[in-house]
Amino acid sequence: MSPDAFQPPKKSFFQNLKEVMYGMASHDMSRYALRTRASMEHLFILITMGDMIGIPILPPYYSLRLLPYVVPQISTWKRRLLREKDVSDAMF
Amino acid sequence: MSLKQIFESHPERRYIMFGGKGGLGKTTFSAATAYWLASQGKRVLVFSVDPQASLTDIFQMDIFGKGAVKIMDNLWAQEIDADKHIKQYQNEIRQKILDMYGLDQVPDEIEQYIQAASAEPAMEESAIFDAVVDIVVEGNYDYYIYDLVPLGHALYYLSMGKVYDEWINKITQLREEMREYEEMVSRLKREKETEEDAILTELQYIRSRINASSRILTDREKTAFFFVIIPEEMILLDTQKAAGLFAKFDVPISGYVVNRVVPQELMDQEIPAYLRNRIEMQGRYMTEIQQMFGKDVAAYVPELERDVTGLPMIEKLAKIMYGE
Repeated sequence: MSPDAFQPPKKSFFQNLKEVMYGMASHDMSRYALRTRASMEHLFILITMGDMIGIPILPPYYSLRLLPYVVPQISTWKRRLLREKDVSDAMF
Repeated sequence: MSLKQIFESHPERRYIMFGGKGGLGKTTFSAATAYWLASQGKRVLVFSVDPQASLTDIFQMDIFGKGAVKIMDNLWAQEIDADKHIKQYQNEIRQKILDMYGLDQVPDEIEQYIQAASAEPAMEESAIFDAVVDIVVEGNYDYYIYDLVPLGHALYYLSMGKVYDEWINKITQLREEMREYEEMVSRLKREKETEEDAILTELQYIRSRINASSRILTDREKTAFFFVIIPEEMILLDTQKAAGLFAKFDVPISGYVVNRVVPQELMDQEIPAYLRNRIEMQGRYMTEIQQMFGKDVAAYVPELERDVTGLPMIEKLAKIMYGE
């Protein structure tokens, strides 16, 4: 994930300390934030492309403009939506 | 105030609309007004937002889907071909998907969605709505005359602006919140700036399109909206109701034009009871119209001896409406 992973293993003490601190303090937070972000992404696709799974969403004309940007997420979105009992479960 | 006075005292009102129930003469008045303004030396575009447009019929010229077609000096007319517009739009979307992901073919699932979305009933109206933005934003003409759809549809058309706007606001908010999370993560990871959100940019573009269109419809300075009525009970009741709804959407109503008035002078002649009854009935409703709308009636247009098609008849009507 971190760009550091691709660099040669020669790291300074501070570099190491920084990563340890990150792991202890904020890794969980950022993981949580990323998860929330992903849930929101799915919510976003739902309110723009809901038609795709039979939920009529107004208005289709402009949602087509957004379609190209979400093409890669469509299949994971569908899978996830069908797995969840309630869409709002994904939010909380 | 007469129609002529309204136009002369408000030269800044460049967007002219005639609305009313179906078949009362919206297209006819749009054409006559366009004709009059053009003959005053103004550059005028009259265009139809109705999928079943009838400008082609009134000008007796095939203009459907051909862009702005010149009818005479200073006068252009345009009928939007919604189907063609939608097809072009679909192709743009497909091409964008292919380009963005380097595909040879749009994935089945996505293709199905594109086709299903285009079959929605709102699609046609939305496409026209969008095309109108292109027409109006260009701003090549002194006057734009909207040949509107019948009342119910016109309300839908108006409310569409508001619905779109709210929808866009909601998803823009969500998108912005998503962005905050993204930024938080990159701050935590001490990464550089996150890349620009293409969807947010797209949403802002959509919003600007919608605002451009609905701003005009509700602009008190630049827009004049006229109701077309005839002296009959049902029409008066419906128009009153509609006027209330239009006012709610902040449409600036500039006046009412009464159409199909059978001339009172006929009463002095030998006429059959059938016609006499009609004139008497109209007389009653004319009093009602004066009570209801009073000074707001901009013109009374008599029932003509034949229907209005072709330039000579349009000219005749324009002379009656604008009193020359």
